Amino acid sequence: MSTDQAHPNPHGLRQRKGTTPQMVGRYPDWDVLDEQGHWDEETRKVVLDRLHKVPEITFFDEREAETLKAFCDVLLAQDEEPRIPVLSYIDEKLAGGGGDGWQYYDLPHDTDVWKIVARGLDEEARKDAFDSFADASLEAQVGIVHRFDQGELHGGVWETVNVARAWKVVVRYACQAFYSHPWAWTEIGFGGPAYPRGYGAFGSPHMGEQESWEPSEAYHFDPVKDTQERGIE
Amino acid sequence: MTPSLFKGSIAMPKDNDSPFLLDKHKRGLQNLDKMARYRDADVVDLVVVGAGAGGGVLAQRLARKGWKVVVLEKGPLWDPDRDWVSDEKGAGQAGLYWTDNRIISGNDPIEMGKNNSGQGVGGSMTHFAGYAPRLHPSDFEVKTRDGVAVDWPISYWDLKDAFERVERELPVAGEDWPWGDPHSYPHSPHPISGAAYVAWEGARQYGIDMRVGPVAITNGVFGNRPHCIYRGFCLEGCKVNAKASPLITHLPDAIEFGCEIRADSMAVKVELDDATGRAAGVTYVKDGEERFQRAEAVAVCGYAIETPRLLLNSACRRHPNGIGNNADLVGRYVMVQGATQVAARFPELLRMYKAPPPEVSSEQFYETDEDRGFARGFSIQTVSPLPIGWAEHVTAEGHWGQSLREYMRDYNHWTVLGILAEFMPEAENRVTLADEQDEYGMPIAHFNYNRCENDKAIVDFAKGVLMEIWDGAGAEDTLTIDRYAHLVGGARMGFTPDDSVVDASLRVWDVENLFIVDGSVMPTEGAANPALVIMALADRCASLLDRKAT
Repeated sequence: MSTDQAHPNPHGLRQRKGTTPQMVGRYPDWDVLDEQGHWDEETRKVVLDRLHKVPEITFFDEREAETLKAFCDVLLAQDEEPRIPVLSYIDEKLAGGGGDGWQYYDLPHDTDVWKIVARGLDEEARKDAFDSFADASLEAQVGIVHRFDQGELHGGVWETVNVARAWKVVVRYACQAFYSHPWAWTEIGFGGPAYPRGYGAFGSPHMGEQESWEPSEAYHFDPVKDTQERGIE
Repeated sequence: MTPSLFKGSIAMPKDNDSPFLLDKHKRGLQNLDKMARYRDADVVDLVVVGAGAGGGVLAQRLARKGWKVVVLEKGPLWDPDRDWVSDEKGAGQAGLYWTDNRIISGNDPIEMGKNNSGQGVGGSMTHFAGYAPRLHPSDFEVKTRDGVAVDWPISYWDLKDAFERVERELPVAGEDWPWGDPHSYPHSPHPISGAAYVAWEGARQYGIDMRVGPVAITNGVFGNRPHCIYRGFCLEGCKVNAKASPLITHLPDAIEFGCEIRADSMAVKVELDDATGRAAGVTYVKDGEERFQRAEAVAVCGYAIETPRLLLNSACRRHPNGIGNNADLVGRYVMVQGATQVAARFPELLRMYKAPPPEVSSEQFYETDEDRGFARGFSIQTVSPLPIGWAEHVTAEGHWGQSLREYMRDYNHWTVLGILAEFMPEAENRVTLADEQDEYGMPIAHFNYNRCENDKAIVDFAKGVLMEIWDGAGAEDTLTIDRYAHLVGGARMGFTPDDSVVDASLRVWDVENLFIVDGSVMPTEGAANPALVIMALADRCASLLDRKAT
């Protein structure tokens, strides 16, 4: 991964309909929220609450929240508004006890892992002569996240955890928060909740078969080539 | 049996009215108002711990035989209409997965939770993908045939009738099955998605046979259970009632025959009568209060982590190291299956989120082939992660930031094949009690896991096969994630008290009225998903027990 982390889409995928994170998306004239009339009531409530009732941050203190918001922005390439407020959902889960059913023997509880990561990111930023991770330049932030990904953070609070496994914990929480949000579904062209409507056209044996309401892709990039060409691999 | 001729005409099970006891327009159980209620002081005929694949079938069979049965279940009694959502994150928030803390360790620590652990009435089957294959005859004699692990004290032929009965009750849909003991299925194969179709084509190019199914999802008329609507949310709990779980396949009938399902009740100890050595009942916690259900017999059906944990926590004077643990075998020989998945990219839009994740599979590599350099083998199955699951695939290869977002935006171009590799039972792959306690005051489980060399060799070979399939299909790129699935073993059945926890009838050695009826009794795991096997074991266990005078 290079340090060129700004602008998630230099090729200009501009969403025209609805909202997506940073208004990028491959299906610019489609919005998954337009389908909500086809969702069952229980599911609609869960998804719309996620959208409209963003939880208050109560688990993290102010400084931790500032650090971790900046971290999540880099991790998920959310460099401008509109942003999915991922830290609010992460905080909500941790405030409820956290955990997905397991704990590595060489890691503390997920709740403590997140607090340690917040402290550790600030410690790293201070090594680069910034007051905190949130105050660091984007280049410095990306460098720290890169070292975190590689398990190359040492000293201070990082000595109390298995860094590579702590990385897996925070990435998991961040992706759960981001890809459960309907804005992200619109960005990637995921059909969203599908009960009680279901699907009739699911593509076999004629590939590309789609429901009348499913969008067509306006932009087509092979991510392997594209991420290499853009130097973000 | 000669198969296709009878498809659709022999589908309805004779001794299980569950599909008729449901309502066409409501998903929850309809006969709860009639459910028997026993008092703790009543000495019921059987108390079952866990309302999953094992406990659900056992309770239904014995209730039909006139036994007074109470099923204690840690989680809730679901009403799919009200409790479940068509949403990946919402399924976890609804509580479908067992997410209470467990400590994991070893060279290959196994992550728990949504992937392998369930709670609530219906057990993990409420969120299993739906694959319901049989074991092969060879699975029961791998020591004799292949010189590895152990033989089972029963053979495939002891379970064959049970497999057929359970397949009719779920019901299982699929093509005529050429592998193992060739057989057919009560429901025809489901139509498959474009995402599965490209995998199938690739396999054909490479000379691999694949078949549609076998999945425990209705594909036709089946009492009041609707047909599948192909919405793709099998792992989030089937709101349709098309995919099988004991909640809808066995427990409605059990209730009709006097079984009580006592939900939100966490068993913490099996109590033995010190004078006789017989099980006297189960101590459990409900609404924060510790209670004791008396019973003539006890069946522990808590699966590979919770069953050993409960037995170990039930130490008493006669069994100072835990009930059934006098040979130090409780909690040992737990197995997972190697479940590496390889995703492949195609230029077309495949939208793998449509149609059920389980669609086509192959058991061509199931048995030992000495040329491959390892014992036993693996099966191949299509899978279809939803967006959060897809992010696990992308981040597993180290992507974050912009490249994560870009691979995620490319979601609709990808399709995924997975393997189930048979791992060997090893004594040190075990569940023990940790120092930490849970909210019920019970020590939590510590699960240690190391793969052996044979395990690693199977996975390496199988990954190569998946790569060849995608190559044959014309994939532009692949992403690989190493992972594990399923849990069995931990209270193995065997031939003598020195080599096992339970005998061939699933009775704990030395405790004549205590049974273990779940996946933990499996001495080896095969390369098959365990749900059908566990149900068949429960069916057989029940068939060996006497009818009660009513």
